[in-house]
Amino acid sequence: MKILVVDDDLHIQRLYKEEFEDEGYEVVIASNGKEAIEMFDSEAPDIVTLDILLPDVDGIRLLRQMKEKRPKVPIIMSTAYDYRDDFAVWASEAYIVKSSDLDELKSTIKKLLGK
Amino acid sequence: MDTAHKQKLAEIIFENIQDSIIMLDRDYRILAVNSPAEKWTGMTASDLIDKNCIDVFHDITGICPHCAAKVTFETGEVNIVTQKGNLKNTTYYAELSVYPVKNETGEVIECVIFIQDITERMLSHEDTLGLYNEVTQTKEYLEGIIENSADAIVTSDINGIIKSWNKAAEKIYGFNEQEVIGRYLPFIPDSLMYIEKEYIERIQKGETIRHIETKRRKKDGTLFEVSLTLSPIKAADGEVIGISGISRDISERKRIEKELISKNLELSRLFFISSAMRGTLELDKLLRMVLTAVTMGNGLGFNRAILFLIDEDKDTLKGAMGVGPVSQMEAGQIWERLEKKTLSEIIHDIEVSPMKKDSFFDRLSHGMEIPLSEETILTKTVKEKKLFNIHDVKKEPLSDLILIQQLGTEAYAVSPLISRDKVIGVIWVDNHFNKRPIAEEAIRFLSAFSNHVATAIESARLFEQVALAEQELENIFESISDMVYFISKDYVLKSINKAVCRRLGKPAEEIIGKKCYEVFHGMNGPWAECPHHKTVEIKKAFVEEVEDHHLGGTFIFSSSPIFDTTGEFIGTVNIVSDITELKNLRERVVMAERMAALGEVAAKVAHEIRNPLVSLGGFAKRLEKKLDGNLKEYADIIVNEVERLEGILNEILGFVKETRVVKEIVNSISLIEEVIYLIKSDIEERGIVLVREVDEPTEMHIDPNRMKEALLNILKNAVQAVGSNGTIFIKTYVKDNSAVFEIKDTGEGIAEEDLPFIFDPFFTTKKTGTGLGLTITHRIIEEHTGSIEVESKPGTGSTFRVFIPLK
Repeated sequence: MKILVVDDDLHIQRLYKEEFEDEGYEVVIASNGKEAIEMFDSEAPDIVTLDILLPDVDGIRLLRQMKEKRPKVPIIMSTAYDYRDDFAVWASEAYIVKSSDLDELKSTIKKLLGK
Repeated sequence: MDTAHKQKLAEIIFENIQDSIIMLDRDYRILAVNSPAEKWTGMTASDLIDKNCIDVFHDITGICPHCAAKVTFETGEVNIVTQKGNLKNTTYYAELSVYPVKNETGEVIECVIFIQDITERMLSHEDTLGLYNEVTQTKEYLEGIIENSADAIVTSDINGIIKSWNKAAEKIYGFNEQEVIGRYLPFIPDSLMYIEKEYIERIQKGETIRHIETKRRKKDGTLFEVSLTLSPIKAADGEVIGISGISRDISERKRIEKELISKNLELSRLFFISSAMRGTLELDKLLRMVLTAVTMGNGLGFNRAILFLIDEDKDTLKGAMGVGPVSQMEAGQIWERLEKKTLSEIIHDIEVSPMKKDSFFDRLSHGMEIPLSEETILTKTVKEKKLFNIHDVKKEPLSDLILIQQLGTEAYAVSPLISRDKVIGVIWVDNHFNKRPIAEEAIRFLSAFSNHVATAIESARLFEQVALAEQELENIFESISDMVYFISKDYVLKSINKAVCRRLGKPAEEIIGKKCYEVFHGMNGPWAECPHHKTVEIKKAFVEEVEDHHLGGTFIFSSSPIFDTTGEFIGTVNIVSDITELKNLRERVVMAERMAALGEVAAKVAHEIRNPLVSLGGFAKRLEKKLDGNLKEYADIIVNEVERLEGILNEILGFVKETRVVKEIVNSISLIEEVIYLIKSDIEERGIVLVREVDEPTEMHIDPNRMKEALLNILKNAVQAVGSNGTIFIKTYVKDNSAVFEIKDTGEGIAEEDLPFIFDPFFTTKKTGTGLGLTITHRIIEEHTGSIEVESKPGTGSTFRVFIPLK
């Protein structure tokens, strides 16, 4: 199973990569919107974790582009700020506020891939 | 009537009439005289007999019956003159009417003179005119206020048919005057119709409804918020005859505020025009008496009579009242009944009994209107100021078609009503039922009679207009929610409306006559900041926003100078609006903007701090797993401290961790009702029928806001699928320990190939959809561990069922 991690923070990229690989997933990383879309096409990930605040493009727009391409790929919005009242984020399968405790993120991935 | 009866009638009239009657021969010798004549001469009636009229009248009182009689002896015509005299140092007026008495050869041998004391009438005319001018002047100030008021001022009759419409109404609602006058309140959204009916009922009972905040519809269909005050318009007798509505577009308060500043000071002429011709009971009674006198068997004896009055605004002759039977049979009944009563008895009845206006003939008369620009017998009567007797309508090309068509008249007579050299209307008569030709004799009486009644009608009408104008003036004055008051140039409050009393919490008696600076600003002398003070100083209108601690708030003061007819400055008219609330609102907006800016900062901070914390804590955890002893403990401390910091961050930013829903106990029925309410106006505007079938209410543990969003999206889709004029069924019930919401429409349905994708994000078949509605619905229901199912057939509609598990 392949996870696409979209986040511009280098340390978080590394943390997610190591943690997810420990769980037995293959992990690919994108640091901005442009890379994310390219890799979404070329790498065909099974699931995506998507930060909302990205340097080049709004994560919600990215969410939309990905859903238009392949609506069945689950996307987890992982953000540093509360966007729950923006209904657009509801197009994603899950919404998680970033935390140093990755248990919730990991169990959500497991649940979404298990379906 | 036989001769004996006539004789008797003549005797009774001769002795009981209040007018003086004198009979003279060609040498002006007094042949007969009644007792009222005594007051003009100071001699008893019996002493006057055989005296020469010249000797007993003119020198003593200054009036001159023989001068009037001279004309009649020379011309053989009826002569009516008004004379001014002086008796015991008092000025008085008399109207003398001279009627010729002719012998068989047509020579005038004697004449009968009626002398009527019209002093009171003339004096009251002058009073009335004075009063009228005064009111007209005040009226103009208020007309200005209405016309250029920033508030829409709309008046309607008691049924909501619009009568006047000011500039602001046009601006706010988008309809111009021609589009709304005569229509039923077109700016009320359909969904509010029933509430509006309640308001109208309350106003009909005389209630004033102040400051309701409600919705209105513009001409282009957009809805907007207004603040509305509705008040009854009352006639002089207190009866509610209309509604005045003052509304303000509160979504654009600021704009209005500016307009208020630029032109706050006039009134709508229209407001008054429409009602100027309206009759009150007193005028009606007078008209009724006149017409009864014309048609009574022992009066002038015509079968039918209609009184037309000139409507100067429309330049038409308009039916004001009609008296007469509708059919030959009714005519018979009426004559039979009336013959038992004398004219004076009947006149008395009219005076004391309530008016019955609704006879068919009267209604018919009311509908008649003849433009004065047309050339007909009726309009000629007005223009040429003379009487016409049409013996056969078929031979008279100018016969009024309206009379022939609606009344079936074959012959008729029309006499002008002339008051102070001006034609105010006409009396029309015919003998439709007994077909008796209208004799010259009857005509002459009609003519003389018309002259008598014209002045009476004119003054009744004038009085009435004054009363009405005053009443309307007062209504507006009192209905305006802003404080309105007049101050003389020496700072004394002359007149105030109720809003002033309410604001100051004192009755009017304690305010009027006081100095304005004491009452309003709590000062001992004029306040330099006060717009009235500035107006007094430079005689120009001033409008300013003033914070007045004594009144307790922020106000827009608008003060305009009033000049009397000679151009002298006499005081100011002031309109004061309390804008404290508006100002507070403004301040809150500024505050909210500041908070929003803070929020943005918080979002930035959150991002900048949370990310490092995530990697810090995340790596510390990884470290912890690989270490042991003291080092493991140190890593553990880092992990815990990071978690503590994250907790603080969440708290500051108001985060609820993890979940997207905040649950509480919610009642299924109130939930679905709130959802329906959100889309109600759309449903009503499209003419969609909503059928509810709700079970017993069920308590659910859900996030009400999220769940409303979920159901609303389904309902919105249903409304769009139906388009217009279809039906939507909403059912709630409990099945298999789940609350079920079922929304079924009779719309276009969903194509079979689309059905598997409808919950996918950004999937839409609509031109304007975001493709997120049903996705969001689906997610929300999933978060509640519920489920959704859909059945649909193209052409017949769709059914959505939402299942929410009960605990």
